[in-house]
This record gives sequence, C-alpha cells and structure tokens, in this order.
Amino acid sequence: MSEYIPRLAEIVDIDIESPNTYLISLKLLDNENFSYKPGQFVMVSVFGLGECPISITSSPTRKTLQLCIRRAGKITNGIVDCRVGDVLGIRGPYGNGFPLERMKKNIIIAGGGSGFATLRSLVNYIVDRRGAFGDVAVAYGARTRQDLYFMQEYKSWQQAGIDVGITVDIGDESWKGDVGLVTALIDKFRLSAGSAAICGPPVMINAVAKKLMDKGFDHSDIYVSMERHMKCGVGKCEHCMIGPYHACQDGPVFSYDKVKSVL
Amino acid sequence: MAFLPQERLVPLLTLLSDRMEVVAPILVEGVPVFASWSGQPLALKDNPLMPPQEFFLPQREVLFRYIQDCGSYSFEEAAGKARLIFGIRPCDLRALAVLDRIFGSDPMDQSYFDKRRSTVLVALNCNEPGENCFCDHLGFGPTCSEAVDLQLTEIDKGYLVESGSPAGILILKEHPEFFLETSQSHLLEKCEMLGQAREAMNSCIARSLPGIKEAIKKADWNALGRTCLNCGSCTFVCPVCHCFTIQDLGVPDGERMRCRDTCLLSGFSRMAGGANPRISQGDRMQNWYLDKFEYIPQRTGLLGCVGCGRCSRVCLAEMDRWSLEVKR
Repeated sequence: MSEYIPRLAEIVDIDIESPNTYLISLKLLDNENFSYKPGQFVMVSVFGLGECPISITSSPTRKTLQLCIRRAGKITNGIVDCRVGDVLGIRGPYGNGFPLERMKKNIIIAGGGSGFATLRSLVNYIVDRRGAFGDVAVAYGARTRQDLYFMQEYKSWQQAGIDVGITVDIGDESWKGDVGLVTALIDKFRLSAGSAAICGPPVMINAVAKKLMDKGFDHSDIYVSMERHMKCGVGKCEHCMIGPYHACQDGPVFSYDKVKSVL
Repeated sequence: MAFLPQERLVPLLTLLSDRMEVVAPILVEGVPVFASWSGQPLALKDNPLMPPQEFFLPQREVLFRYIQDCGSYSFEEAAGKARLIFGIRPCDLRALAVLDRIFGSDPMDQSYFDKRRSTVLVALNCNEPGENCFCDHLGFGPTCSEAVDLQLTEIDKGYLVESGSPAGILILKEHPEFFLETSQSHLLEKCEMLGQAREAMNSCIARSLPGIKEAIKKADWNALGRTCLNCGSCTFVCPVCHCFTIQDLGVPDGERMRCRDTCLLSGFSRMAGGANPRISQGDRMQNWYLDKFEYIPQRTGLLGCVGCGRCSRVCLAEMDRWSLEVKR
C-alpha cells in the first residue's frame, strides 16, 4: 500500500488552549499500535482540503494521541472546524524526534509561542520518566497571558520537581508573572550545563542558544526543532530542505551547530 | 546482441504496441515530444525538450481516491499500466537512476515504482550530441551507463541492439524474425560512432565538473537572482528535478493529487503564517545548484545534473547556466 494513504483517526476530544489554538485528542480507528517519540510529527489530512505537518503534542508515555493546532492556514482551519466524532487522516509518525538516549542529564527546555506545542511532549515524557533526566527546567514565553498553552499542567510539572518559568511579551493586570524574553528566565535557573531543547521563532532560538552557550552548553548539545513547509513527510518532495538536510527525515530536531547558519 | 535493420524498427514497434502502450518521440505541432505512438513518423534527431520523466512523475497524477462512507473513508489506488518507452537517451536514463535512488529511499514511493516496474525502456545512444549537451564532461554518456532493457545504437543500415535485462532479452527471443546476427564490425562501428559523438561534444563546449563547481562557489547569487525571471522553466524541463506538491480535489469523494512543483518559485518554502526560509530568488537559485552538485550526490552517490543542457535551452533570461557569470 502506498505510503501516502493515511490511517484514519477519530476526534475524541477538542479543548481550547488559546483564542486561536485547540488541543485535539485522537483515536486511531484501526486500533493498531501507534508508537512515537517526543519531537516527531504527523501529516494530518482533512479530506478535500489537503494535508499538513503537525507536531505531536502528547507524550508517548500517556494513552491519548494529541495534536495542538493553531489556526494558521487552510488546513489547520479545516482541522479545528471539525467536531468530536469527525474523522481525519494521519500519516506517520515522521522525523527523528528528540535524541532522548543522547541527551545529557540536566535539561533546559525553552519554547516560544506555538513552538512550545512540540516541547510539551518532551516535558510530559520527562515527568513520567523523571529519574533519568537530572535537573530539568522549562522556560516558556508567549505574546500575552491568553496565548499561553497548557496552563493547567504547569503545576504538575513543578510537582515533578521541574523548574518552570513562564513569561509573556505583553503583561496586563490579570498577569502576575514575568514579562519579557525567555532568555531572562534562563538566567534565573540554577542548573549546570547539560542539554537543551528549543522550539520557537528563529530570533528566539538564536538568543536562547547564545545564552546557553555562554552558560557552558556545547552547541552540539542544544537541540532545535525546526519548522518547515512539508508535503510528503518522507524526503521526496524537497519542500523542507535545510541545506543538505530534509527537515522531515533528518529533522525536525537538529543540533544547533547543524542549523545555526540558516537561523 | 543483435542487429536490427532500419526498415524493421517500425514493424517491431507496431507488433509490441499490441501488447503494451508504446511511447516514442514524435512530432506534435512540429515539436518532438515523447507521446503515445501509433505509427506516426518517429522524430529521432533531437532529444525532446520535455524528458520522458513525465511517464514516471507526471505533471499531475492521482495518488489515490478517497471515498466518504458514513463519516469514515475508504481508499482506492490505481494500478500501473504496461508501457514501453522507445528512444530514451543516456542522459535521461541516468536521471531515472537518480530518481530511482531518491524515490526508492525508505519509505519507497509506491506510485513512482508502480510505473517504473511496468515500463520497458528501450534506449537510443547518441551519435550526434545536441547543441547544449555536455554529458561526457560529467563522466558518462553518450552511451548508456545504466542498466536498461534494450539499448540501440544507430549504425550503417540499422541498429546494434544490446539487451541488459530479462525484459529486453525476452523481446529479442520472442521476435527473432526481426533481428540479424551481429558481427565484430558492428561493434567497431558503434565504438567509432560514439567516439565521434564525444569528440563533437568536446569540440563545441568547453565545460568541466570542477569548472561548474568552482562557478557555483564564486557566483554572485544576489545578482543572478535579479537576472532570473522566476519562471521555473528550467526545473520543469530538468529530468532530475522532482519537486512536487500534494493537493486534494473533490468533496466529499475525491482524489489526492500529486502535482509537479518547483523550488525556484517563492511560494515553495513559504509556511502557513507567511514565514519563508528561502525568501530571495538568489537563495533559491543557490539551493537549486547546490542540490544538484552537492546534496543529491551526498544522498544518492550520483550527480543531480546529467548534462542534457535543457535548462540552457529554455532559460528566458538567457543566463549562462554554467559559467554563472552575470551579464551587465
């Protein structure tokens, strides 16, 4: 059977994360195993509209497959306009995911905006396998309080002994936390150099990586999840090329030294 | 190995066309193109501008049909059709070898290989290089360097036929009435013809792989990007270019289509939300050249350029595609 034929998945739950972002829970209709790693992605089909790459937001340590979808274009709009019970197509998982076996103890996870969706998979994975990862800190920044995802989970991360820093670009009276850049949060963490996982806009990735290297992190221990336009997901269509690499197969997670020239 | 007299070629193709679709270069509105053949005069002088890659990776094709059924979906795939392509040249054959490696890398592209496996290739070696040809400078051609079902070389009064696969041998065995025994002189004649072709190529175009690589290294991509008219023609005639997009057609039932795309157009790498990692035409041109001369060789072990010269023929900006010098 063709690699391009998707598996079918029913939407079992839709939750609102921000005014334009939704958390969609899926159940695969073939009831067969779907194993994945934090940092991998799937190609999601809305039949009649097309297909687009979406990173997996849930952790493989938990039962439900979840995708976090922001209204950004034709297909993402099509996905979030679906209702519970509607059927989508899923291909994958694709991509390399975060190299959990290679990541050193003491991990900083830094996300900016919707880039945090893929990192939530890693955070919850670490929460469920807490012993293996040493000190862990999460730094997450969004535009405003309303744009912050997964707010109901921060507490459970702290309870698992994870240092959680949250910041917004624009504060208001309802926000009592930090206002400013993600890099400022990193200054507050007391954590010796290990590995890092970053996802966000290129400016934010560069600023965070620079800050981490100043703190003694090696550029090859800083892992960046890259966003690219994709059509096939399997290294053929060439849309996602980053120099010699295909973000869909060689990535989307790259060590910073491999991609800093294109950021 | 066998000798096929000139006058028996068309009867042989006619016989084969009973069994499968025969595609061959014919004149359509005065222009040679690879098209379904049913007895039209063959146009074998020049390699057509559109490569026969079209029969493996069409401009548009249906990957599968989706059919809605009580809120869920079922899928239908089309099967490959038996076909023989006559007159594919060594450069286009080489390009297929590159595509085989790209589309054959894990996971294999079923749609491409369905067509590849159901197609018999009969190649025609080049006795006379085209105006822009430079395959020999890249280290292969004008004779087939890849395995091919049958390869023909035009010699005096006919063709020397060499088989390279069971499908090719079968054609020779099943139709012995068309072929004559070969002699040593036929082989010598072939070597001589191809030697002349090489010489002709070398005398009209001075170009080398190190020279091209050097030009890529030194090129002023910003200036070249301003010269380029962003038409994408070079990518649509290139036998190695294979960028594609995937689109749906039809609600609630419909077709998931694969359509050819080109990395030289600005929308190619643009993401939902508007961010575009290759924003300038110069960036995109540089990526095109690096892909052909660095990235594809890294992935497949073969160059991503086959020296067919088609991109030079169609360039609307009349750029010198190989010296990459900017005209002032």
